[in-house]
Amino acid sequence: MIRAENLTKSVNTSEGVLTILNDINLSINTGEAVAIVGASGSGKSTLLGLMAGLDGSSSGDVFLDGHSLASLDEERRAVLRGQVVGFVFQSFQLLPSLTALENVMLPIELKGDAEANEKAKQLLERVGLAERGHHYPNQLSGGEQQRVAIARAFATQAKVLFADEPTGNLDTATGSKIVDLLFDLNREFSTTLVLVTHDERLAKRCGRSVKLVAGEIVSDEKSEETIVG
Amino acid sequence: MASTKTSVLSDNKPLSNLLGLAMRLLWRDWQGGELRLLFFALVMAVTSVTGIALFTDRLEKALILESANMLAADRIVSGRGLLPEEVLEKGQALGLRTAETLSFTSMAFSDSGNMLVAAKAVTDTYPLRGEVIVAEEAFIRGTPIESGPPVGEAWLEGRALSALGVEVGDSVFVGEAELRVGKIIIAEPDRSGGGMADNAGPRLMLHMDDVEQTNIVQVGSRVNYRYLFADDDQQKLDDFESWFRGEEQWLGKYYIRDVRDESEEVSEALNRAESFLLLGSLFAVLLAGIAIALAAKRYSERHYDYVAILKTFGCTSSQITTIYLAIQIVLVAIAIVVGSLLGYLVHQGILLLLESVLLVSLPAAGFQPYVIGSLTAFICLLAFALPPLLALRETPPLRVLRKDISQQKISANIPYIFGILGAIFLVYWYSQNFYLTSVLVIVIAGISVFLSIVSYLFLRSSGSVGMKAGSAWKLAMTAARRRRTQNVLQVMVFSVTIMSLLILTLLRTDLINDWQAQLPEDTPNHFMMNISQNQIEGIEAFFNENGVEGNAFYPLISARVNTVNGIIPEPEEDLESASERGNLTENAGVDEAQYEEMRASIDTQSSAAMGALNAGDTEATEEVEGRRVRGNLSRRQVTWADELPDDNRITAGSWWGEDVEPGYVSIEEDYADWLDLELGDSLEFEVNQQIISAEVSSFRSVRWDNMQPNFFIIFSPGTIDHLGSTFLSTVLMEREQKILLNDLIRLFPTIVVIEIDALIEQIQTIIAQVTSAIELISVLVLLCGGLVLLSCVNATLDERFHENAILRTLGAGKKLILSSLLIEFATIGFVAGLIATIGAEASLYYLQEGIFEQEFNFHYWVWLAGPMLGMLIIAGLGVNSTRQVVSISPLNVLRKVV
Repeated sequence: MIRAENLTKSVNTSEGVLTILNDINLSINTGEAVAIVGASGSGKSTLLGLMAGLDGSSSGDVFLDGHSLASLDEERRAVLRGQVVGFVFQSFQLLPSLTALENVMLPIELKGDAEANEKAKQLLERVGLAERGHHYPNQLSGGEQQRVAIARAFATQAKVLFADEPTGNLDTATGSKIVDLLFDLNREFSTTLVLVTHDERLAKRCGRSVKLVAGEIVSDEKSEETIVG
Repeated sequence: MASTKTSVLSDNKPLSNLLGLAMRLLWRDWQGGELRLLFFALVMAVTSVTGIALFTDRLEKALILESANMLAADRIVSGRGLLPEEVLEKGQALGLRTAETLSFTSMAFSDSGNMLVAAKAVTDTYPLRGEVIVAEEAFIRGTPIESGPPVGEAWLEGRALSALGVEVGDSVFVGEAELRVGKIIIAEPDRSGGGMADNAGPRLMLHMDDVEQTNIVQVGSRVNYRYLFADDDQQKLDDFESWFRGEEQWLGKYYIRDVRDESEEVSEALNRAESFLLLGSLFAVLLAGIAIALAAKRYSERHYDYVAILKTFGCTSSQITTIYLAIQIVLVAIAIVVGSLLGYLVHQGILLLLESVLLVSLPAAGFQPYVIGSLTAFICLLAFALPPLLALRETPPLRVLRKDISQQKISANIPYIFGILGAIFLVYWYSQNFYLTSVLVIVIAGISVFLSIVSYLFLRSSGSVGMKAGSAWKLAMTAARRRRTQNVLQVMVFSVTIMSLLILTLLRTDLINDWQAQLPEDTPNHFMMNISQNQIEGIEAFFNENGVEGNAFYPLISARVNTVNGIIPEPEEDLESASERGNLTENAGVDEAQYEEMRASIDTQSSAAMGALNAGDTEATEEVEGRRVRGNLSRRQVTWADELPDDNRITAGSWWGEDVEPGYVSIEEDYADWLDLELGDSLEFEVNQQIISAEVSSFRSVRWDNMQPNFFIIFSPGTIDHLGSTFLSTVLMEREQKILLNDLIRLFPTIVVIEIDALIEQIQTIIAQVTSAIELISVLVLLCGGLVLLSCVNATLDERFHENAILRTLGAGKKLILSSLLIEFATIGFVAGLIATIGAEASLYYLQEGIFEQEFNFHYWVWLAGPMLGMLIIAGLGVNSTRQVVSISPLNVLRKVV
């Protein structure tokens, strides 16, 4: 489903060229759940951004659902994202001027699906927020906001779900519930999951864990506790 | 290596789907309050522009209409002797309404008296504009009537009735015609416009058909014929005028005039008012544009995340453009509807406010103001709102992971370039005036350059910038530095706004002061001429007895410059050409045609009468008739005086003091320039066939538009006193005092009284109306300015909330934060006020010199008031808007609940 080949990302800074990712080679199969772990600044989020087609690499390529991202411009990458990818973010990234229901409807509407409202309602019900659909994000707790974000991520039945520190902004108990929900839905929709975290317990719940140190993969191992596969 | 999919990823979302989404986003953003500021700014633009345009459109029409009353027509054709019939026929053929008048001086008789009257015969259709106000008794308010007397009737001014000893219903004789006194004339629309024939005595109006019976008007009689034309269709009038001007055989013989030719004072007032209203609406548009730009910028900043998320979910850049374009177009369309409606209400409100001062009923407005308002909204959208919104398409989707990324990638300058180009276009489009556009562009560009230099210096001096949260002062100063770019922009917006308000306020004050100074309440409204030395005492005594305040008596004598330093002067540029003389004869509102009429109607006292009326120039008439010979300069009515007349100012040399000696002369500065004179030059004059020499001791500026006696040449006492002269004086007589004129003329039968009270009253009325319009536009623009200032302060609220929440979390007290906010805003306000003052004074210099034809004077008080006002207003608005910073819990701010 996802394959990174000799992926390198470097940026120009005032102190010279800074290499964030260096020659990454990684392959993720359909239905796999992979945790990308590492310390802050190790390049986890950058790798996630590149694999999801949110940014372009300096060299190397990413193949997402068979498409070479390096050969696509931003416009085509956007179309590909719309067809293939779903996201869950650490800071939820709900649109503050939209209600919970409208936030979930948004990606469905973007696809031109006339039944956006219906589908969004079902998803909200699935994440246990059927009654809170008309609340705005600032009227919801952190856990509730993340549940809305998860509902939104599954709204378009994406093939791959990228999650960037999904429990990073939540307390342990809430985080745990969110993780359960995320994995439940992932199984239900048979989605490929790529999850960035530095929470080792969370990483262990994925079938596979890839560890980054200073922009390079230092380990790539299967977990004992697997969810999918 | 895995195979790569070759399928084309195309953006295949149907447009209707995107538009539907755009409308849903619009509705949700509206409900969420995101669009309100932008919407209100757009509505404000449409409202202010439409409101002001509606008001000025109607007011302008009304002012022109009202001014037309001074002529009783829109156009007048006049001249000496019978006018060509074909002029009248052409007017009628073009569909214009027409009327005829005939003015002449004549004695009127009754059984008990007689007096010289200014007779005027009118046709049935007279007056074409305005009304004749008549009554059954003299000196009361009267009622308006839209016609002149019927055949067989004479209408008289009150003063004539008492002199003739008649009442309404009695008979009077004009020449051989016996006419019944039908009504008493209280006011007549074109009373002031007729020249000498109309000013030489009280009015007697009769029907044109009765003229023949009088047997007064014969071939060769000195009478003034006038054809009057009027129509609501400006085009017809213009066609008629260009036809008339095209007939070269009438050049110099017959004249066509409109109200602007009729009175320099009215014309000037109208022109200035139009320029002011234009400038006012220009500032309103500019300020609204700035408000839109600020609101759009804030809206787009708040939408970076929105767009990043949309892109994450597969929205392409072109779809983002479509969505935001659709949102803006719909928003503008709604703003146009709401703004036009509000604009209509605003202008109705203005009219309601002005009901008591607006003496004219306003004609209905056209569609144009609505079109202007709507176009303005679209131009504002294109220039000010769209650029920052369209820049949204560049938002990188990676922003969902890294918040700091968008600011680096989105070019911040392009929107400003569009905004500046849009502003220049708007200014030019509105004013159609290259000079005005240049002045504003140069001043605003100057402010930008100045601010860039200041910010650069600030940057260099800053060193390391931390929070320095120890004291309010340090905190405020470092905050100001941190937001350097933002603050420079904010100071710029504040400066331009305050500058606009200062320009309008100062201009308004100067215009009104100028008008008040030109024609103060106590402006004398009667000229008395041909007074002999031994009559002066008697006249003064007469005024004293009757409680009338007289003025100085100026000796009047005809003189001609023969040589300058022994050489016959041959000035190249002909100051006395017809066009120039318009400037120099303003003091009695006399123009060329009137001048001609005056000549025709004055006999023995001609030189004295004309001298008083037109700055002492009799030669100009010789020139009109082609009798002037180069090298033989004009005769002028000159005077001598101990003291410098009011409204005269010495521009070079000095006025003679107490120990004045004969042999000096003071010359008006333009006349001196024309003759290329220098101080100390020796002039030789011919005065009453005697040769007199005098040395030029000073040059003077003269206020020609003050309706007072003014002179090109004033001698020091003792120089020409012995050559014999008559005297000229002025007096202010209220309407109820006018009856005294009868006694005055009976006691001193040789003096000539010229009545200009009607002219002064009409000018004062028009100026009062123009003044109230100007006041009102100033208030409207002030309101717009206030809203811009508020939007500008609001534009930085998000960041301030965030920063101050962090400070509070770290333990900073409310007092410290509020004081620091106060100091920061006050400093910005002070700097903006100072720059605005500099910009306003610079703009005013060019505007007053170039457009308003006013003398520019430094407004010293503004240099103090501008910065202080800036400080107070910005600090007040700023602290008021950001007070929430300390009242909302820092946690809520940091969680972006606000």
